[in-house]
Amino acid sequence: MAGRKTIKKPLPHVFENMEEWPIYKTYHNPDEFLEKVKGRVLEYLSWSQSNENTSLRKELKNIVYQEKMRLSKTPWKSDNPEEKAFWNDIKKQFKSVKSIDNKGDTKDFDNEILIKILDYYGSEMVANFKPSSFRFAQKALPYIYSRLINSFPQGLYKIFSSTDKLYDRMKISGDIEHLRALEKMGTLIVVPTHYSNLDSPTIGLSLNNIGLAAFTYGAGVNLFTIKSLSKFMHNAGAYKVDRRRKHKLYLETLKSYSTTALTEGVNSLFYPGGSRSRSGMLEEKLKLGLLGTALDAQRINLEDGNGKKIFIVPVTLNYHYVLEAKKLIERHLKNEGKEDYLEDENASSFGLLKRTVKVLTSNPGMTISFAPALDVFGNKVNENGESISKIGNVIDIADYFKLHGKIRRDVQRDQQYTQILGERILKEFKANTVVLSSNLVAYVAFQIIRKRFSQFSVFEILSLPKDETTISEIEFKIVLDRIRDRLLNLEKEGKIILSSELELKVEELMIVGIKKVGSSHARYVLRKNKKGVISTQSMKLLYYYHNKLASYGLDEFV
Amino acid sequence: MSKVGVIGTGNFGLALANLLAINKKQVVIYARREEIAQKLNETREHKGQTMHERVIATNNLGSIANECKLLFPIVPSSNFENLLNQLSPFLTPEHILIHGTKGLHITADINKVESLDKSQVLTMSELILQNTCVERVGCIAGPNLAKELAAGEIAGTVIASRYNEVIKEGKKALNSPVFNVYGSNEIKGVEIASILKNYIAIASGMLEGMGYGDNSKALLITRGMAEMVFFGKAFGASEHAFMGLAGIGDLMATCNSKLSRNFQVGHNLAKGIKVETTLGEMKEVAEGIKTIKVVKLLKSYGFNSPLADALYKIVYEDWDITRGLEYLMSLPVSDDIDFIT
Repeated sequence: MAGRKTIKKPLPHVFENMEEWPIYKTYHNPDEFLEKVKGRVLEYLSWSQSNENTSLRKELKNIVYQEKMRLSKTPWKSDNPEEKAFWNDIKKQFKSVKSIDNKGDTKDFDNEILIKILDYYGSEMVANFKPSSFRFAQKALPYIYSRLINSFPQGLYKIFSSTDKLYDRMKISGDIEHLRALEKMGTLIVVPTHYSNLDSPTIGLSLNNIGLAAFTYGAGVNLFTIKSLSKFMHNAGAYKVDRRRKHKLYLETLKSYSTTALTEGVNSLFYPGGSRSRSGMLEEKLKLGLLGTALDAQRINLEDGNGKKIFIVPVTLNYHYVLEAKKLIERHLKNEGKEDYLEDENASSFGLLKRTVKVLTSNPGMTISFAPALDVFGNKVNENGESISKIGNVIDIADYFKLHGKIRRDVQRDQQYTQILGERILKEFKANTVVLSSNLVAYVAFQIIRKRFSQFSVFEILSLPKDETTISEIEFKIVLDRIRDRLLNLEKEGKIILSSELELKVEELMIVGIKKVGSSHARYVLRKNKKGVISTQSMKLLYYYHNKLASYGLDEFV
Repeated sequence: MSKVGVIGTGNFGLALANLLAINKKQVVIYARREEIAQKLNETREHKGQTMHERVIATNNLGSIANECKLLFPIVPSSNFENLLNQLSPFLTPEHILIHGTKGLHITADINKVESLDKSQVLTMSELILQNTCVERVGCIAGPNLAKELAAGEIAGTVIASRYNEVIKEGKKALNSPVFNVYGSNEIKGVEIASILKNYIAIASGMLEGMGYGDNSKALLITRGMAEMVFFGKAFGASEHAFMGLAGIGDLMATCNSKLSRNFQVGHNLAKGIKVETTLGEMKEVAEGIKTIKVVKLLKSYGFNSPLADALYKIVYEDWDITRGLEYLMSLPVSDDIDFIT
């Protein structure tokens, strides 16, 4: 990690007065904000343009039908008890205007209903920001975290020890000064990789520690089941996203929410990969919906003349131990993609808390790696926030939106730009991944076994009997050394980052890695016995932790 | 109204400049050599084409980039990178570049390497993306033999880009009652089609030089297109583009026209005249010769290209044409339609 700074303790906020933060100002006046959100949905109306033959009435009826189905077929504890009445009422209103229907124009009526629905979505979605809640989180999170990631508390004294040690295990690296400087020049969108439900508190704490104003982010409604926690999340800038709703009007409202928050200058956080990586692999494809709001907001800022820039900050989260690894990899292997949300409800806030408590005892740590900031076209930005094109010159990003000298909205063009941005983010994810000792040993062990059974499919390898999967220490060290050499070369080329652990001697590196990899699972991921035989109790978990390095073309060096 | 720029004073560039001008555009055309720009402005003539009064020539890349946000670079692939390096400092993300160059840029020396990696082979649009800050890139391709365009004959073309905005702007600038412009989002397929057709034209010239008739040529064109699709698919293009003007359209034109350079190279080969001799006589390049080699060097990607293989043996290994043809006709034959799934 040569040349990358790691912060040792929390930095002061760039803007100290919370009441001056855009998130505070925006959510302090939610009605005004929601009017803008609604206005934008109505202005674009692209949600209804896909099929010109469908009347607004038909669309609305379809929405009411889908919403009622959702409530009866996939009810969640988090559902608003009054929601059913809301949709029933709309349905009733449709019936009551049937007679007018036949006489012709129902446009005004339909628009009224549309606005009612938008208002409902808006009021359900909208977040709040209370400095008191935020301050509470600022204090509580490091405490919880130091408990969480300092391994094996040996006595009560540790509970009261300072959180300083936290930052030995929770490493935050990257060009932090640049990010702090950019906060003064524009609005930040943080886009992290996504492995675990712990990502959100991890990233939240990291962003606070580098002194950035609070971020707003979408959280699944299923996380809002415990009243007190729900209220707390709400007051700390989380807006509600219901992933069961897939119709266009809702998605457009969500996008408009995000765009508007950005144009109001509110720092935002998206997980561009969508859900958590099930295989443990780095994201290979991004969901472009929310990312597109970055472009839209940037264009609006340029059109409005304030020109405020939007900066994209990719972040990689690197864990030795992922809480829900077993469940994720099993789901990946079963390829149950479509039933995800049903399971996700089990990942309710209570479940999360419970499991968080479970790992309070042991976690060997993590690294949060901030990539260099990009503009919304994926160009790097210099210390003044100016965009640098790939050929190295300073460019005016308004030009990307211009045709015949004027900034224009062009949905198809901006989708292409969003795709490019997505590709650049993936590149930054890859280049800013920090290789931990645990990733490396898992990779080495799995690849040695895989090579041994090169004719086998992954599934066959995963179900090998235990005695076929042992590795001698000597073989392990040889391959470990070779892969590390290759990784060193990749690091020199700027294609990956190695944690300082990788400077250890092969012997130590092996021991440290084996000790840390997935350290708290019920079954051990790797262990070395006194005779120097390395074995695993879970090929699936080994595969999961191995996958982190699977996209770097290292297999030919095994 | 903003001006439109054409970069390059080859036959196609000149013809395109006139088509734009006829379409009521103010056109700036860039000539690499100052004396040619001067001559164009003074005599209104170059390479046998009379230039429209709305076409003004310049030797200054900075001024053409400044005046025209829509640019058509039409220079040989061997000069393309050089041009981009000079042009790049004057370009902004507002520019739209629609190139008309039917060739590949290879980052390795094809006379020295034994194989090529995909990443070493760039289409011109990819080269533009790599070497400039311009994102809105397109290409123009199709059965557009420059001499026929210059004569004002009716023709059609395709502008391909991932951006509808680019296609729209290109159409607006060029579409006219004599020149119909179609659109496509399959830029990679369109570029590959317009490049591969070059060597098929060489084969067509050979057949004609050997005295073969229409049956043979039809077989060549049909299987030639299949071969283009195989190659295209191996490089991430879909088969669609090959069915359009840049694919089958351009194939029919180049394979039937003695005006095509590649056709001439093949024709002369059949008459016992070596490639070098033919190329020496022609002022412009025959991209097909280079393409045959590039296809050969990419064989590790596992696509089926019997025609290119046979041409390689003839052009680079001095096989007799008859032997090459015998080899080709003795290969096992597959299903008729084996290139669309």
